[in-house]
Amino acid sequence: MSDAAMTRREWLLTDRPQSRLQARLGRAYVAWRRFTANRLAVIGLVIILGLVFLAIFAPLLAPHSPYIGDLAKARLLSPGPGHWLGTDDQGRDILSRLIYGSRLTLQVVLLVAVIAAPIGLLVGTVAGYAGGWVDAVLMRITDIFLAFPKLVLALAFVAALGPGIGNAIIAIAITSWPPYARIARAETLTVRNSDYIQAVQLMGASPWRIVLRHIMPLCISSLIVRVTLDMAGIILTAAGLGFLGLGAQPPLPEWGAMIASGRRFILDQWWVAAAPGVAILIVSLGFNLLGDGLRDALDPRGSGQ
Amino acid sequence: MNREKITNRTGRLLAGAALSLLLVSGGMAPAFAETPADTLVQAWAIDDTITLDPAESFELSPAEFIGNAYDMLVRLDINDTTKVKGGIADSWTVSDDGLTYTFKLKAGVKFASGNPVTAEDVAWSFERAVKLDKSPAFILTQFGLTGDNVTEKAKAVDESTFVFTVDKAYAPSFVLNCLTATVGAVLDKKLVMEHAEAKTPSDEYKYDTDFGYGWLKTNYAGSGPFKIRDWRANEILVLERNDNYYGEKPALARVIYRHVKESATQRLMLEAGDVDVARNLEPGDLDAVSKNADLATTSAPKGTVYYISLNQKNANLAKPEVREAFKYLVDYDAIGSTLIKGIGEIRQTYQAKGVLGALEASPYKFDVAKAKELLEKAGLKDGFSVTFDVRNTQPVTGIAESFQQTAGQAGVNIEIIPGDGKQTLTKYRARNHDLYIGQWGMDYWDPNSNGEAFTSNPDNSDDASVKTLAWRNAWDIPELTAESKAALLERDNAKRAEMYQKLQQQALETSPFVMIFQQTEAAGLRGAVKNYKLGPSMDTNFLAPVTKQ
Repeated sequence: MSDAAMTRREWLLTDRPQSRLQARLGRAYVAWRRFTANRLAVIGLVIILGLVFLAIFAPLLAPHSPYIGDLAKARLLSPGPGHWLGTDDQGRDILSRLIYGSRLTLQVVLLVAVIAAPIGLLVGTVAGYAGGWVDAVLMRITDIFLAFPKLVLALAFVAALGPGIGNAIIAIAITSWPPYARIARAETLTVRNSDYIQAVQLMGASPWRIVLRHIMPLCISSLIVRVTLDMAGIILTAAGLGFLGLGAQPPLPEWGAMIASGRRFILDQWWVAAAPGVAILIVSLGFNLLGDGLRDALDPRGSGQ
Repeated sequence: MNREKITNRTGRLLAGAALSLLLVSGGMAPAFAETPADTLVQAWAIDDTITLDPAESFELSPAEFIGNAYDMLVRLDINDTTKVKGGIADSWTVSDDGLTYTFKLKAGVKFASGNPVTAEDVAWSFERAVKLDKSPAFILTQFGLTGDNVTEKAKAVDESTFVFTVDKAYAPSFVLNCLTATVGAVLDKKLVMEHAEAKTPSDEYKYDTDFGYGWLKTNYAGSGPFKIRDWRANEILVLERNDNYYGEKPALARVIYRHVKESATQRLMLEAGDVDVARNLEPGDLDAVSKNADLATTSAPKGTVYYISLNQKNANLAKPEVREAFKYLVDYDAIGSTLIKGIGEIRQTYQAKGVLGALEASPYKFDVAKAKELLEKAGLKDGFSVTFDVRNTQPVTGIAESFQQTAGQAGVNIEIIPGDGKQTLTKYRARNHDLYIGQWGMDYWDPNSNGEAFTSNPDNSDDASVKTLAWRNAWDIPELTAESKAALLERDNAKRAEMYQKLQQQALETSPFVMIFQQTEAAGLRGAVKNYKLGPSMDTNFLAPVTKQ
């Protein structure tokens, strides 16, 4: 058994891979080993996997309904058996609301990443590769967006679009692409004059093909790191919008909105606001740890590969 | 990149630190320690005070200041709020045709300035309010007063006799109740006119003086038990004992209102002894105060009612069965014992408790089965969806969420659209809502105020000139409109009360208004404060009897 495992390991770590697949798997394996060597990063990964698990199995895991509470008998109960994290001002079980709320949090984070990252990547690589006035126009637009504090700009967009979780996602996405564009542009500038790009040009590849097939893949690893690190910020922005009443609307169990409604009871029933606050803290921490670990693992300049 | 990340985090940290600093400084504003024995210090959100001029002021907190610092011809009788008693007026008579009211003034009454109070001051105060024509002026102009005829209709015949002529034979109780409003406050003509500024008459403003309008915004010219000494907007208001007051003089030398907005902050200040009275305590804090042995609470029902209304332009909501079903879908008991505990009492009729002709009836209970049956009768067995415009403040948000849950049990799917007060109100006034949750405060202490708002709708077209609450919900009710008009002219008090009760009964059965509760004003007190009693309206929160040990 151990022999076979050793050979598989050696096969992955070999200096002379026999195929592309072997080389890729080998590199992934090295990255994974570097990632797992970082304990904190693994904790981050476990937290995020736990969040995904909660979101998928929310209906099975939640002990009560997140929407229906018993106003007359179960309002603002302290944590205890029956309601492990107590109940809120409508008599709803806070634990169940947190579990269902993980779906909203994941939804926000994923959708923002899916919308914002490609926009930033495209703008940045096009600007970096094209140069000249295209670069100037695209980067000045980016500068304009960067000139506003993120939350304030998101607030303005939500106010214009109307409150709601969908509009909050759009607003956050609109405000979070500029840093990605900056990173992608910087990466593009370092590779645009390299020999292999010029080789592709000589072979007659169109600019779009060069940007899409030969530049973007090189930008992706630093972008992934940046997006992961930003996810904590996205969660905080979404929670901030929810807290201000502009994000998810009642009765959705969005964590920021839960803190806002619990704020009134902070002196006497602290758990109503504390539970979603701790949840936001843990998940943000998880994304930050994961992001740090990913950066160490994915940075191509980090080791002698 | 690494560096950018670090600065990002530091920025967030700094912002957090600044925020917490802000919170802490807000919570621990300069402490007085023990308040002086002859001074009552109250913590209250007084940011709605925009003027101290009785002819213009129509907000909540200034009503209390004016109520304590000015005197009117007649005042509400605190012991029986369906009646009035004399203020400046000693006695009054109503002519047989019901058009002329003759008031005899009390002798020897002086303003705080030392000037004597004469019938001329009363007549001029009426003239001033009508000619300035600010928000509360309608309370007087509804009796047929205009800028051109006011000097004839409100007239001093001698030093101590004031005659008031109205255009129709209204119920005397209606006229007298309206005269208790703060707009009827008697001003010191001599003092005010010393500060009046000359004006150039124009089409909009036809008079050559501003009647002291600019000066009285921040100054005082009254004859009440207290005088207003100082007001700094959103900061402080100071009342001082008026030594020229004709009645029993207050035990307190001064009353200080400090502007404090947050309930939690007020509670901390009350517990620390920085203030004697906390006025904006939310249910949770009120509960904690009432459990504290050093503190006490007091409360009184006020003339503001909360309701959910159903726009009759929505085909589903216009069905009578749906209107009735919704009245069975509010969990009155649970809301009463939790969300509004201490700040309101469940009330299903639209007249405030204590007003003439208020009907005491609460036939509706939370009953999903009954509501489902009614919805089935209306052909909505599978339920339906509606939107619900909700102002994002408590307690209405909490009530709206509770209603969303309970209505959901009968298959009514409610989508809450939150907004700030202005957004939701604008939509409501334009009749573009489905469901709306609102509050309605009485304009003056008479059943006509709410009777007209809830059960009168002279013209249901979109461009009507009279836009009552019934109009806002497109509730077309010619019969009820006629009945509420008749009640206004009924001169027999008992009969008039009966007519209003009948109107409320019909509204209870058929109206698109799901009445929820009547607001209670509550205050937390230090143990040393005695005889602190809140009245039925803001201008009857009298401070004169208050003492401190």
